[in-house]
Amino acid sequence: MNRSDRKPDRMTDELRAYVDLLTEEKIARGLAPDQARREALLETGGVEQVKEAIRDVSPRRFFDRLRQDVGYGLRLFRRSPGLNLAVVLALALGIGATSATFSVVDGVLLRPLDYANADELVVVMHRRTNPVAPANFLDWQRHATSFASMGAAEYWTPTLGSATEPEKLFALRVSGEMLPMLGVAPAMGRFPLAGDAGASEAVIAASLWQRVFGADPGALGRTIVLDGRPYAIVGIMPPRFTFAPFWATRAELWAPLVLGPRATSRGGNSLRVFARLAPGVSLDHARASMTALTTELESRFPGTNRNVNVTPLKDVVVGDARQSIVVLFAAVGLVLLVACANVAHLLLSRAASREKEVAVRAALGAGRLRMIRQFLTESLLLSAAGGTAGVLLADWMISIFKQIGAASIPRVQSIQLDARVVAFAMLLSILTTLAFGLVPALRLSRPNLTSALRDAERGSSTGRRGRRLGRLLIASEIALAVTLLVGASLLIRSFTALRAVDPGFAPDHLATFVVSVTGSAEGAPGRRLGFYQDLLDRVRAVPAVQAASAINHVPLAGDIWGFPFRVEGRPEPAPGEVPTAAYRVVLPRYFETMRVSLIAGRDFTEADRSGAAEVVIVSQYLADTYFPGESALGKRIRVHGGAGWQTIVGIARHVVRSDWQDRPEEEVYLPLLQVAQYRDDASPAAGYLSYVVRTSGEPSAVIPALRRTVRDLSASAPVSDVFVMTDVVHEATMGARFVLTLLGVFAAIAWLLAAVGIYGVMSHSVATRRHEIGIRMTLGASRARIVGHVLGEGMTVTAIGVIAGAAGALLAGGAMSSMLFGVTPRDVPAFAWAVTALVAAAAVACYLPARRASAVDPQTELR
Amino acid sequence: MPPSGPVVPGTLDLLILRSLSLGELHGLGIARRIEQITRGAFEVKAGSLFPALYRMEHAGWLTSSWGESASRRRARYYQLTARGRRQLEAETIEWRRVVTALGHALKEPL
Repeated sequence: MNRSDRKPDRMTDELRAYVDLLTEEKIARGLAPDQARREALLETGGVEQVKEAIRDVSPRRFFDRLRQDVGYGLRLFRRSPGLNLAVVLALALGIGATSATFSVVDGVLLRPLDYANADELVVVMHRRTNPVAPANFLDWQRHATSFASMGAAEYWTPTLGSATEPEKLFALRVSGEMLPMLGVAPAMGRFPLAGDAGASEAVIAASLWQRVFGADPGALGRTIVLDGRPYAIVGIMPPRFTFAPFWATRAELWAPLVLGPRATSRGGNSLRVFARLAPGVSLDHARASMTALTTELESRFPGTNRNVNVTPLKDVVVGDARQSIVVLFAAVGLVLLVACANVAHLLLSRAASREKEVAVRAALGAGRLRMIRQFLTESLLLSAAGGTAGVLLADWMISIFKQIGAASIPRVQSIQLDARVVAFAMLLSILTTLAFGLVPALRLSRPNLTSALRDAERGSSTGRRGRRLGRLLIASEIALAVTLLVGASLLIRSFTALRAVDPGFAPDHLATFVVSVTGSAEGAPGRRLGFYQDLLDRVRAVPAVQAASAINHVPLAGDIWGFPFRVEGRPEPAPGEVPTAAYRVVLPRYFETMRVSLIAGRDFTEADRSGAAEVVIVSQYLADTYFPGESALGKRIRVHGGAGWQTIVGIARHVVRSDWQDRPEEEVYLPLLQVAQYRDDASPAAGYLSYVVRTSGEPSAVIPALRRTVRDLSASAPVSDVFVMTDVVHEATMGARFVLTLLGVFAAIAWLLAAVGIYGVMSHSVATRRHEIGIRMTLGASRARIVGHVLGEGMTVTAIGVIAGAAGALLAGGAMSSMLFGVTPRDVPAFAWAVTALVAAAAVACYLPARRASAVDPQTELR
Repeated sequence: MPPSGPVVPGTLDLLILRSLSLGELHGLGIARRIEQITRGAFEVKAGSLFPALYRMEHAGWLTSSWGESASRRRARYYQLTARGRRQLEAETIEWRRVVTALGHALKEPL
C-alpha cells in the first residue's frame, strides 16, 4: 500500500483537482468559466462533506485514524501556536521543576545511604556529631557489646604529589574496621591490609582515579606521595561511593588511621566514630549499653565520656533538613497545581473558541464519539509534548544543579532524575489535559446544534460560563503563586538577615589549623607551652601573614566547651543553677587577629602570664547579664582553669559559636600563658591548639607555608582541621541557601505561570468579546474607558487571588517558622514584596490585552 | 438510453475495479468511465466515489499517485494492484452468478 504520499491534505488537493477537472469539462461543453465552476462545485456536493465522508469510511484501522487525528491536531497546533505553546510550556515547567526538585531532595536527603543494610549503621559521638578522642574510641571499641563492628575516621587534607605541582586532597584516615563495615567492596583491588603492612596503602575514589590517572586500570599498585610520604594504591571504589556521608563528604582517598602514641590521648577529639549494630540489637538497647559504658568510663576518666550518643547514620545525614523537606514538597505540590490550573484554563479558552468548529463538524455529520476521540488525541498530544519538554527541562536543571552544588552540597553526585516523580507529574498533567481538553466535545451533547452555531458565532452564553470558570482558575492560580512568593520572600529575607549576622570576627583573609602535641616529643613535660609560643612566632614570620594568634577552639569551626563560673560577692548558687560560660583560652593578640572588637578594657599581653595577677576577658552578654547597670571591668569571677579569682580586664563583642544562628551567651577568655592546664602536662585538653592566621592575600595560598612551618619545628606534631574561614562561614549558611534556591525557583515559576495565565484569560476574554466591545464603542465608550474596563476586570480577579493567597500564606507561615531567622512568618515587607511582584506582573499581563481591546474597530467588528 | 441514477448498492466497488482494469484513471476519469461502460445508467458522485476509492486503496486493491491529466492538470491517478485484479475476477464471477440466477428467477413464469 502506498502510504508515503498520504499527506494530511492529500484529500483537499485531490478534491480540488476533481473540481478543476469537472470545471474544465464543463467549459469544454460550452459553459462560461464561472458558471462551469459553480456547477462543478454543486455537483461535487461540498468538499468538506466529502472529506468528512472519506474520513469516516476510509481508513478503518486504529492507527490510521490515530494518525489522522494526530495530523489534525498538529494542524491546529500550527494554526494557534501561541495558546498551544503556552499549554506545553506550563506543562513543561510544572513537570520539569517538580521532577527536578524532587530528584534533588531525594538524591541529597531521602535516598537510603548507598551502604549495605544502611539502617544498621549508627554514629557514636559526643552530643550528636562532636568528635571523639582516640583513647575513648579505643575503649568503646574494646568494651561495647551492641555493635557488630565499630570504626573511626579522621579528616585529612593531604597534599598530593611533588613540591612543584601539589594538589590538596580531601581524604580520611580510617581505622581498619571502617570501610569493610560499610559493605561496599572496591570496584577494583582491595582494602588496605591490617596493621603495619597496610599503613602505607590507600584506597581511592573513582573520581580521583579518573582525574589523576585517567581511569587507567594500571593505577592499581602505583605509588602516590601524600604529604611527602609514599602510599600504594591498593583499591579503587565504585563510582557512586561516598564516605563519610555527612561530613568530609568530598573525601576521595581513604588511608589507614595510625594512632601511634595518640592511642592513649583523651584530648584532641578528632575521630568520628561509626558502628554497625549487631544482628538483632535494637537502637534503644545499643543506646542503653553505651550509656552504661560511658558512665563507667566517665567515673574513671572524668570529663572525657560526657554526652555520648548513638544516632542512626541516616538521621545525622538528613539532619535538621526534615522541615525543609516538608516545605519543599509543599512548594512542589503548589507549583504543580499552578501549572495544572494554567493548563486547565488555557484549554478552556481554547474550547470556547473552538465551539463553532465543533458545531460545524457536527453539522457535517461527524459523530460525537468521533469528535471526542479527536479531542482526546489532541489532549494527549499536548501532554506528550509538555511531558517530553518537562523531562528534558528536569534533566537540564539537574545537570545545572550538580554543577552549582558540586562543591557545597553533600551527595550531589547521587542525584538522578526520579522515574516515579516523572511518572506522577506526567499522569497528573495527562489527567488535566484530558479533563479540560474534552470539554468542547462533551458540550456537543446539547441537542440544538443550530443554537450552538449561532451562539458560537456571537461568542456568548457558554463562552461566558467558560470565562467564569477560567477566572476562578486564574484566581486560584494567583492565590497559590502569592503563597509561594510570600514563602520565598520570607526565606530571602531571613537569608539576608542570616548573611547580615555579624559573626563577631572578620572571616575573610583568615585561615585556621590545629596542631596537636599529644604523644609527640613536644608534648613531653615542660615543652608544650614553649612549643606553642615558638610556633606562633614562626607563623608570624611567614610571608603574607599579617597577624596570628591561637585559641583552644576556633569559633564556628571548632568545639565548644562550657565550664561553670562564679561571680565574686554573689551568694553561692543552688546546685544546678551554677552559670556556665563557653571556655576560651587564647594567646596574646587573638582579638586583634580575629578582629573581634573589645567594647571596653584591654587585650591580653605577654605580661598576663603565670605569676602575674589573674585576668579574664568576658563576652558582652556576660557583662550585661551579670553586671547590669554597672561596669564589669575590675570585677572578679572565678572560672575553671584559674587558681583564684580572675579580674575582668576586657569585654569582647559576641562571636558566633558552632551554629551560625546561636544567640549570644556567656563566654570567657583566659590568657593561655596563665592557665595551669597548659603547663600541667597531664592535661589532654591542652594537647592541641588552634592557630588563627590573618593573611594579606588569599589565605589558601599561605596554607602550604604554614604546614611547612609546623613541620620544620616538629616533624611529629600533626596538623589538622585546616580551614579557610570563609569556607567555614559558607558551610554554616549552606542549608539555608539550598532551601532558598529551590523555593526561589519555585516561586519564580509560579509567578511566571500566573502571569501567563492572567494574560491568557484576558486575551481570550477580549478576543471573544470584540463584538461587545465594538457595540460599547459605537455607543460612545472611549478607548481609555475600554482599557480601564478590561484592566478592571483582570485586576479584580487578581485582587481576589492575592487576598486568598495572602490568607493562605498566613496559615502556611506557621509551618515555616523554625526555618526563619530574623523575620516572623507575618513579616510585612515579605508580604508586600510578594503582593507587589504579583500585582505588577498581573498589571502588565492585563494591559496588553486591554490595549488590544481598545484597538478594536467598531466598523469592522459590527459589519 | 435509460435515465441515469445512483449506482446499485454493492456494485460500486466492482464498477470501479472494472473501470480501472484497462489502466490508471483519476477520480473524474473513473466516474466518466463508469458512466460510459454502463451506457450512462449509473452516475457516480464525488461523495460516494472518493470514500470508496480511499477504502479500496486501504484494502490494498488500488494504489494511487499524483500524475498529470490530459489538460496538464495535477490529478491523483488510481490503478489496480494484483490483489485488486483478483478481487475484480472474484467479484465478476460472483456477479455473473447473481445475474444468471436473477435472470432465471425473473424468466420463470410464476
